[in-house]
Amino acid sequence: MATTTLDRAAPAGTGTGTAVTGTGNLLRFMLRRDRIRLPAWTLGLPLLMTYFATALDTIAQTPEDLAGLTAFTSSPAGALFGGPGFGFDDLTIERFLAGQYGLYVLLGAGLMGLLTVVRHTRTEERTGRAELVRANVVGRHAQLTAALTLTAVMAALVALLIGAMMTSRGFDLGGSMVFGASVGAVALTFAGIAAVTVQLSEYPRAASGMAGAALGAAFVLRGLGDMAAVQGSGPSWLSWLSPIGWSQQTAAYVHDRWWPLALSLAFAAATATTGYVLSARRDFGAGLVPPRPGPPRAASWLAGPFAFAFRLHRASLIGWSVALLVAGVAYGSFTQPLLDGFENAPADLVEVMGGGSGDLLAGYLGMMGLTMALVVGVYAVLAVQSLRAEEAEGRTEPVLATSVSRTAWIGSHIAVVALGVPWLLLVAGVGMGVGAAASTGDAGLLGDLLVGHLAHTPAVWLVLAAAALLYAAAPRVLPVIWVVLGYGLIAGYFAPILELPESVLRLSPFEHVGEYPLEDVSVIAVVVLTVLAGALAQAAVAAFRRRDLAGGA
Amino acid sequence: MTAAIDIHHLDKSFGRVTALDGLDLRVDAGTVHGFLGPNGAGKSTTIRILLGLLRADGGRARLLGGDPWADAVALHRRLAYVPGDVELWPNLTGGEAIDLFARLRGGTDPVRRDELCQRFDLDPSKKGRTYSKGNRQKVALIAALASDVELLLLDEPTAGLDPLMEAVFQECIREVKDAGRTVLLSSHILAQVEVLADQISIIRQGKIVESGSLTELRHLTRTSVEAVTDRPADGLANLAGVHGLRTDDGQVRFEVDGDQLAVVVRELGDLGVQGLTVRPPTLEQLLLRHYGDRLVRNGAEGVA
Repeated sequence: MATTTLDRAAPAGTGTGTAVTGTGNLLRFMLRRDRIRLPAWTLGLPLLMTYFATALDTIAQTPEDLAGLTAFTSSPAGALFGGPGFGFDDLTIERFLAGQYGLYVLLGAGLMGLLTVVRHTRTEERTGRAELVRANVVGRHAQLTAALTLTAVMAALVALLIGAMMTSRGFDLGGSMVFGASVGAVALTFAGIAAVTVQLSEYPRAASGMAGAALGAAFVLRGLGDMAAVQGSGPSWLSWLSPIGWSQQTAAYVHDRWWPLALSLAFAAATATTGYVLSARRDFGAGLVPPRPGPPRAASWLAGPFAFAFRLHRASLIGWSVALLVAGVAYGSFTQPLLDGFENAPADLVEVMGGGSGDLLAGYLGMMGLTMALVVGVYAVLAVQSLRAEEAEGRTEPVLATSVSRTAWIGSHIAVVALGVPWLLLVAGVGMGVGAAASTGDAGLLGDLLVGHLAHTPAVWLVLAAAALLYAAAPRVLPVIWVVLGYGLIAGYFAPILELPESVLRLSPFEHVGEYPLEDVSVIAVVVLTVLAGALAQAAVAAFRRRDLAGGA
Repeated sequence: MTAAIDIHHLDKSFGRVTALDGLDLRVDAGTVHGFLGPNGAGKSTTIRILLGLLRADGGRARLLGGDPWADAVALHRRLAYVPGDVELWPNLTGGEAIDLFARLRGGTDPVRRDELCQRFDLDPSKKGRTYSKGNRQKVALIAALASDVELLLLDEPTAGLDPLMEAVFQECIREVKDAGRTVLLSSHILAQVEVLADQISIIRQGKIVESGSLTELRHLTRTSVEAVTDRPADGLANLAGVHGLRTDDGQVRFEVDGDQLAVVVRELGDLGVQGLTVRPPTLEQLLLRHYGDRLVRNGAEGVA
């Protein structure tokens, strides 16, 4: 099919093609390949927004309900996980939707942009399919051009659909269009970033990993900037370093500014151009960073299933350690500006952040402990998912064909990740502690933060053990484990807004230990969660011993 | 002779798909046993059951005197396995992977490892993800051949190897055999099995349809004969077991059933044979008889 399409691409009469010859046909081919993915993304993001809107309608039925929400959303934590909060002093449903929940749609759009570009460029090259395509009448830059065009089409669709959906709910047309466009703009900027990262490495996972790290950095930067903006002191300009920040600075339904999106477009154009320039400097199929030879022999410690499991998880552990340390220092050093900003804050606002004691500092530090615990939970789940990939791609089979038992194999992997959990919490706690101590001049905060972070270890262990059990018993339903983390996030941050009853709240494994130093650490909870995690891990090992191994070939 | 592998009536299905349907297989210790069949016939499933990676639904399998599922770990110390599609860890070099497999199995001969790396012309310092398919295959082969084990389970081990490396592989298997070890060599590369195997079993749709030595199997098939004779040889067509006789330019071509060959050759001698080419049946023809002309021949399947 591809061949006939590409045959028609031959420029009739001219005899020569340009670097983008064949783009149109490639684009049609991509649309055909993405006939499920494209609607899934472009309908999924508007549907997510619809869900938020419907949920908010049920939560806030009266103006008083809505006013009650402001207390949380105007706080630094609200800013960190929402946005700069334009117009929140005169809150309306649509302002709250765009200003608080909009962030998650923006993140989704960023993912859409970078994943689509990587999928159609580096993945194609890596698998060798692009070689077949390029052997036809297809220009050097056609593949990247078609991938970027496809992403732009998807971004435009998302922008229009979200704008139309918000307008149809009775919100202001101009504001809805600005908001929709701000979502599409994030997709474009991260498509541009991915156009650069796919040139750097030969491997699609490395390319999407680098672009994903940029998305994470964009989230953190604007989080810091927005926190500063909400309390009126600190480096609020940080938000302007982030492509997500530009989209949020449009202030939909408040100022309806279009001009920040010009920054997004310029950035997308600049990164895409860089991508083209870099791609001309490398060979087909190669990265700019050449692969290096490694040791011809295994190190002497690399013997036995545990050492081997550690070797496989090592690179990811190093990456997570660096990221958590940097994020910890960044958020920790924000402690003093936050305290300054709240000196003149209204009492009820401080109440929400710091509880009855009015201890804003403890509230912030406790909340950061929970945040880091959720992030380390993501690490644990991804680590278990890597086991599934290991098995599905046929690398587990030859290991189990040696004298490594199934118990030893899965047990070693669980053990390595289980040790990685307190290690990463420790690293995050050290980062936060050093940042907070340096910012406030109170060295004692380091100890508080270490306890506050490490106390969450059993909760993350429980998530890890549950994920391992799902993998061992029914690998296909493993993604269900994300629900636990998602619920942990909702219960942790939005409990004051959602007014969830205590019994429902406590379904989350993260709501038992206590957010030290705001709350005491519950020793009983630590013991119970640990025992529970141990039991689930045992069950995982037992289940894995019983089932057939998935074939690689 | 003791059996290294002894399988009775093994059944295995995946959902509604029956992979193994009463499979019987016996591999004598110290022999190279060819395990032939087309894709999807159940070769890999059989080997995975022998490795304890899959659990059989019914039947009995013994491996080196033990139970493949219950005694998996103890048995794996005494065998090495090469899958048909070797996947390596992207971040580990080939050399690291070889050492790792050897250590996980319980020891290897480092001298032999280096010698095999040279013979197979493998650069062990490259990362797993930069290897081509053939080189990944070499990594698994070296890891298996360097280890001191009683049994090698090789599942289409030379897919992706070039002819030169294929020759090295055959040499290595002969050495393994001379050392008194057992090899189960699954393949659809017929020439390879023909050259190496003492015994052959042919699997089709989860069942062994034929089993025996190459000589034993040959009498089941037809030998191709080309001859130039003084006197016209058309009369041969009337002999029992002669098929498809054609003559042109004084040359006669026909096929003859294996057990009638002696009679036919005597007749050819009487006709004053000047030139004679006799081609033994290839395994391709053996397979063709089982998978090619299924409609024509129904009765001949109960041989195994």
